[in-house]
Amino acid sequence: MDQNAIEATGLRKYYNSTKAVDGISFQVAQGEVFGMLGPNGAGKTTTVEMCEGLRTPDSGQVSVLGLDVTREPEKVKARIGVQLQTTALYPRLTVREILDLFRTFFPGKESHDSDTLMDLMNLREKEKTLTKNLSGGQRQRLSVALALINMPELMFLDEPTTGLDPQARRNMWDVIRDLRKSGTTVFLTTHYMEEAESLCDRVAVVDAGKIIAMDTPRELVNQHFQESAIEFDDKQNLPEVGAFRTLPGVTRTRRDGQHVTLYTTDATSTLGGLSAMAARKAIHFDDLYVRRATLEDVFLKLTGKTLRE
Amino acid sequence: MKTFFSLYVASLKEMARDRMALFWTLAFPVLFIFLFGTIFSGGGPDTFEVGLADQDGGPASQGIAKAFGEVDALEITTGSEIELLEKVREGDLRVVVVLPAGLSASLEQGRPVNVPVHYDPSNQTTSTIVLPILFQVLQRIDRGLSGAPQLLQVEPVSVVSEGLRNIDFFVPGILAMAIMQIGLFGTAIPIVSLREQQVLRRLGATPLPRLTLLASQVALRLTMALIQAVLLLGVGIVVYDLQMIGSWLALSGFVLLGAAMMISLGYVIAAVSRTQESVTGLTSILNFPMMFLSGIFFPIELVPAWLSPAIKAIPLTYLGDALRQVMVDAPGSFSLATDALVLAAWLAVCTLISVRFFHWE
Repeated sequence: MDQNAIEATGLRKYYNSTKAVDGISFQVAQGEVFGMLGPNGAGKTTTVEMCEGLRTPDSGQVSVLGLDVTREPEKVKARIGVQLQTTALYPRLTVREILDLFRTFFPGKESHDSDTLMDLMNLREKEKTLTKNLSGGQRQRLSVALALINMPELMFLDEPTTGLDPQARRNMWDVIRDLRKSGTTVFLTTHYMEEAESLCDRVAVVDAGKIIAMDTPRELVNQHFQESAIEFDDKQNLPEVGAFRTLPGVTRTRRDGQHVTLYTTDATSTLGGLSAMAARKAIHFDDLYVRRATLEDVFLKLTGKTLRE
Repeated sequence: MKTFFSLYVASLKEMARDRMALFWTLAFPVLFIFLFGTIFSGGGPDTFEVGLADQDGGPASQGIAKAFGEVDALEITTGSEIELLEKVREGDLRVVVVLPAGLSASLEQGRPVNVPVHYDPSNQTTSTIVLPILFQVLQRIDRGLSGAPQLLQVEPVSVVSEGLRNIDFFVPGILAMAIMQIGLFGTAIPIVSLREQQVLRRLGATPLPRLTLLASQVALRLTMALIQAVLLLGVGIVVYDLQMIGSWLALSGFVLLGAAMMISLGYVIAAVSRTQESVTGLTSILNFPMMFLSGIFFPIELVPAWLSPAIKAIPLTYLGDALRQVMVDAPGSFSLATDALVLAAWLAVCTLISVRFFHWE
């Protein structure tokens, strides 16, 4: 089928005077991994909930798998998998018991049995553990397993790696990549730049309830930065902060206390100029490194804020 | 309905593995019974001390004194009114019956006579057990005097005196209280907790119908109420030789009706409470007055008249009253039909309010 997995138009949700979601529109193609990147409070969770049928939009509409989720919620819920941000479950049921229980919520639909899911998400040895005794990573894996029970065509993952240690995060990324390989459409939200960059086919950058940019990660960076970034610590606090701006190739500078970032179209020349400056003034720049611009830089440029306030 | 059954079984497992919940629902009411049994069993007498002041001395008065003397449950002490009243104040006598001068003469002429009965109203046993015995004896004598055939002899008096000990009063009352706890602490609080933790929201993301979820929650609580009834009744019968006089059908009926009503009240509380703090607060505020003003620990006839509207407004009053009547045939403050009607009305109103105001998130 050619239709989009999700089509959202003009979604709005207000809480009293707060505009949590203020006119968001996007399409997610089938088989795509689509990410919503933004800081806490940007409206990501509210948007996801409106797509899942857990919240009604104040205005606008969203069609999921060709269906209007406000009119036919049961049909939609039978075909999607949902992982919420908070992973609370019945605390005194075992892993197997809760998988078996959720399976009964999808009568008449083909579903995975608990053994398959536990193997898939590496939860076999925790089969008889009560959910309240699981570690953070295990709970996340369990909630993904629950989301997979009904073999969904579309998965919603709301901040799937928040609170996980780096190893668990990498493991979750592998799971998501496997989902993509099997043809499942994935809609995820995150405030981790690396996550959006390495997993997503396309990213919508959100802030204060609006989408401020939407494209592939690479395009987003290229559109806003043809530059690299040179970063270092300026412990001597050179008084002529403007001196950096006159270095060859530098387009913009940013100072965060002692930490300086120079955006440059020609890293080599800038580095040359920096060395010359260091030699001339007999100073030493600490922790100097060069990197490509990232989505974090994009966000910073567009909003003036970092992703993690 | 496989889904309903799975949910029901899952929530049973959840409850069975929750030690705290099990304690409060099952162990605590049983402990209550043992507590009261211990406190009152020492003073749970088989006979009651009654003073008789015969100021008349005539044949009718002697006949009355003899009739009282024939009742096994009464230990009669004779004396002057002043002496005997002093003994009531000291607690040596429960009741003083005064046969005023001129009694025999009046009765012979067919004129009515006032027989003062002095007692300490703060003593529960006196009012609920001894007074009815006295009234029954006097009624019997009265019938005899008016010439109506004395068909009812000793039997009714001995049923009252043997069957009704303090513990017999408490067990039905405590069962009623335990059922109320299921509605307040066993329903409102866990549901608000699940809602706050977004467990209910997670369920809402699946095609699970809300009605199925609700039905399984209610079924769980009704099951717990029945288990409580069996447990408390069992303890009463085995340990305290409780005589279950009423019909089992009526008992089950009132247990289920009372439980359903308390559960619906629990949902109303959950509907108006946003947080775990407010639901705990609200249930506590409701719990204690209900317990103490509903005739569970002392009869409602003893509570001052100005509180009586409050008592009549409390649903637990009617549940306790019905259970006492059904289980041990105690004299009721209301008819069983009234009790059932009031409980059913509360159930209907609470259900309507919950349907309108309860949110799953």
